[in-house]
Formats: sequence, structure tokens, C-alpha cells
Amino acid sequence: MSAPQKLIVLCRGNTRSMAELVLKREPGLVILCAATIAIGCAIYGGAIGIWRGPQQALYTAIKFPLLIFLTCGANALLNGMLAQVFGSGLGFRQTSTAILMSFTVMAIILAGLTPVSAFILANSPPLESEQNKTGHAITLLGGVAFIAYAGVVGNVRLLAVLRQICPTAVARRVFWGWLAGNLFLGAQLSWIFRPFIGSPGLEIQFLRDDPLRGNFYEAVFHTLKHFINS
Amino acid sequence: MNETETPAGPGKANPLPPLPPLEATASPALIIETLLKRPAQLVLSIQEKDGLRISAILAIVAFLALAVYGFVIGTFSGGDQLLTATWKVSLGGFASAIICLPSLFIFASLSGATVTLRGIAGALAATLALAALLLIGFAPVAWIFSQSTESIVFIAILHLSFWFIGLGVGLRLLGLKLKLLGIANRFHMKVWTGIFVLVSLQMTTALRPVIGKSQDILPKEKKFFLIHWKENLTSQH
Repeated sequence: MSAPQKLIVLCRGNTRSMAELVLKREPGLVILCAATIAIGCAIYGGAIGIWRGPQQALYTAIKFPLLIFLTCGANALLNGMLAQVFGSGLGFRQTSTAILMSFTVMAIILAGLTPVSAFILANSPPLESEQNKTGHAITLLGGVAFIAYAGVVGNVRLLAVLRQICPTAVARRVFWGWLAGNLFLGAQLSWIFRPFIGSPGLEIQFLRDDPLRGNFYEAVFHTLKHFINS
Repeated sequence: MNETETPAGPGKANPLPPLPPLEATASPALIIETLLKRPAQLVLSIQEKDGLRISAILAIVAFLALAVYGFVIGTFSGGDQLLTATWKVSLGGFASAIICLPSLFIFASLSGATVTLRGIAGALAATLALAALLLIGFAPVAWIFSQSTESIVFIAILHLSFWFIGLGVGLRLLGLKLKLLGIANRFHMKVWTGIFVLVSLQMTTALRPVIGKSQDILPKEKKFFLIHWKENLTSQH
């Protein structure tokens, strides 16, 4: 199967063909998925970062695909082990391929939504305006909504692929195990890699000063505590 | 999985042929692969007369994997704690297993199983090895959080969560062993599971500090783990 044919299979969401790609260890599939994620997420990252400026667009275009790759890489061993102990029959390479495929679907959707993001950007109050906080909020909410939608679609496909490969109960167990691990780590890595859009009042940076200080979950906890106490 | 595999179809399993026990000379890599992919085959292999070597390899795997995870725990404080946490976690995990081995043998016998001490020790080694291997899977995540937080309470909760997940998966293997032995009444085994969890938690306090720093390698004061946790929570806030 040629690279464009494989991409068409991913876009159409033909889960049986996707499962065959995973099981047969199609040569070049991992590279194709990685390249698609790199391009798709970089384009979309650039589109959301451009609201703050070209430099931020470049940084976000680099950081967004990097976030996906680091999440997949750091959890590869765990995801492979979970797939095996839950009895899916998938090996480490097949596990990573299946997860990369779901992120590829997400990247394709995000790339497709980039013109819509650009349209939203064109209609948002710019950084130089007095309503720049509104512009920041619109970019942020739009980004969250699109990424959430693309992520959900990618994961729904992943579950469907797993159901083609193993019994439904096993597929669900493996899927939720992967999802929990990827969300848990992904949230922290996105915290480390902030800013993706860039607050109007802060300077443009690739990473914030001392990016490893504090973590996502402590920040959520302290925000909730502050909210409850006030 | 081989090159000719195709999906079984929605919700259907690829039927696996019944597998014979592993050969006594199986390589450590094959034993680990079997532990992860075909635990029933491994349990059968441990029960065989020449299963002692497999049990010993599983014990070594558990020891080394716990040591690696201990090193990752040590990265929170760094310095001497890198080495201290390494041996504390590996020895602590092993000590918990050895302390609970006699009760496991007795409780399994009370449940009606015809078990040998060697067989049950092998199953416990497999349980610990599986839990420890899963901890290795969690190690990159644990390391990222170790570098991102200064809160001992947060990192302790994280490590304990990972330990519970690993142990939960590992104990499924022990349950499989008992299932293969035809034990219907699991009450005693549930009690034993509770005891093992309590022992492993107390071990973290008996060998403290595992995460934080101290001038003393081992504590001079005896303390129950719940009191130790409460004190840490209070001092944090």
C-alpha cells in the first residue's frame, strides 16, 4: 500500500484496514504517521500561535508536534506493557503504531481545521487592540475546542481499531489504560511546554522561565482551592 | 503476532492454541515476554519440577526492575538519595514479599489448594516481577513529575498510585495461579492481599526516607505509616 493510500485509509476511518496496517507492521507506516503528525500539528500550532506574533507561531509550530511525540515516546513502554498484560496480543511496536495512527487522524483533522482557525483569527481583536484579552480568550477557546474534537475523533477510531484486533472487553480495558496514561502525562508536558498562544501581557518565549517548576495538577489544585476559599 | 495476521473482526478474539509450559532453559527475555503476554503459560511453567530456574530469573527481574524504579524515585531529592532509594525500594519490595510468603502458602492451603512452597514462591516472584516491570513503564512519567514538583506529598501520592496499579496487575497473575489450581473460595486470598498491601505500605515508613532527604539512612523512631503520612501532610501545609 502506498503512502497516499495509507493516508486515505486513515482519513476514511476504515477500521478494518487500519487494524490490518497495525497487525501487518506495514513498512514505513510509523514514518508516515510521524511525518503527518509533524506537518499537521505544526500547521495548526502555527495558526494558533500567530495571534501573538510570527515568533510565537514558529515556537508553537515546533512545540505542538514535539508534545505529541514526547507523550507517545515517554508512555511507549507503559502502553506496550498494558496492551500485553490486558491480553490484546499487541507488541510494543504495534502498540506505538496504533497510538501514532490515532494522533495522525487528530493531526489530519487539525490541519483541515487550520483555515477555520485562520478565519477566527482574522475576526478576533488583535494583540494591539484594547480588547486583546478577548482576542486571546477566543483563540484559546477555539484551540481547545478544535483540539478536543480532533482528539476525541482520533481516540474513537483507536477504540474501533482495537475492537477489530481483540475482544471488546479487552479493547476497552487497553484503550482506557492508554488514554488515562496519555492524558495524565500529556497534561503535564503541555504545562512544561507553555505558552502555546501567549498571554498579551507576557513576552514571547519558547518556554517560560524555569518551565519545570510546579506541575499541572498542583496548579489545578491551587486554583480550585483559591476558588473555594474566595 | 506474525506477518500473516489479520484482524479477527469486531469484538472477536484471535484464538490462541494451548501452549505447553516453557522450557527450563528459556532465556530471561522469553520469560519476561511470557510474563507479559501469556501469564497462564508462565504459571504452568513455574509449577513444573524444573521451574525453579524460571522462578529465580523472575525474582532477579523483580529485584532489578524495583532498583531501577527506586533510582527514579531518588531523582526527586538527588544526591545520595539516588543510591539510597535504589536499594531501599528493591530490598523493601523483596522484604515485603518474603515476610508475606509463609502466610500466602498457608492461606492458599486454607483455601483448598494443593500447593508447594516452591510453586507459591515462584508465583509470588512472578507477581512482584510483573508489578515491578509495570513500574518501569511508569518510570518516565514519574521522572518528569519528580523534576516538576517540590511537593513530597504530591510525588508520594503519585508513586503510591503507580505502586497500586502495578500491584493490582501483578496480583491478577496470582489470582490466575489460584484459578488454575481450582480454588473457588477466594476469601483467604483477599485477606492475604490486604495484608501484603499493608506490609508494603509499612515498609515505606520502616525504610524512610525513600523520597525525601535525611541525615540518617534508616529511621531511629518506630512509626505506623498512617501517622507518618499524617505528619507529612501537616508539615506540608
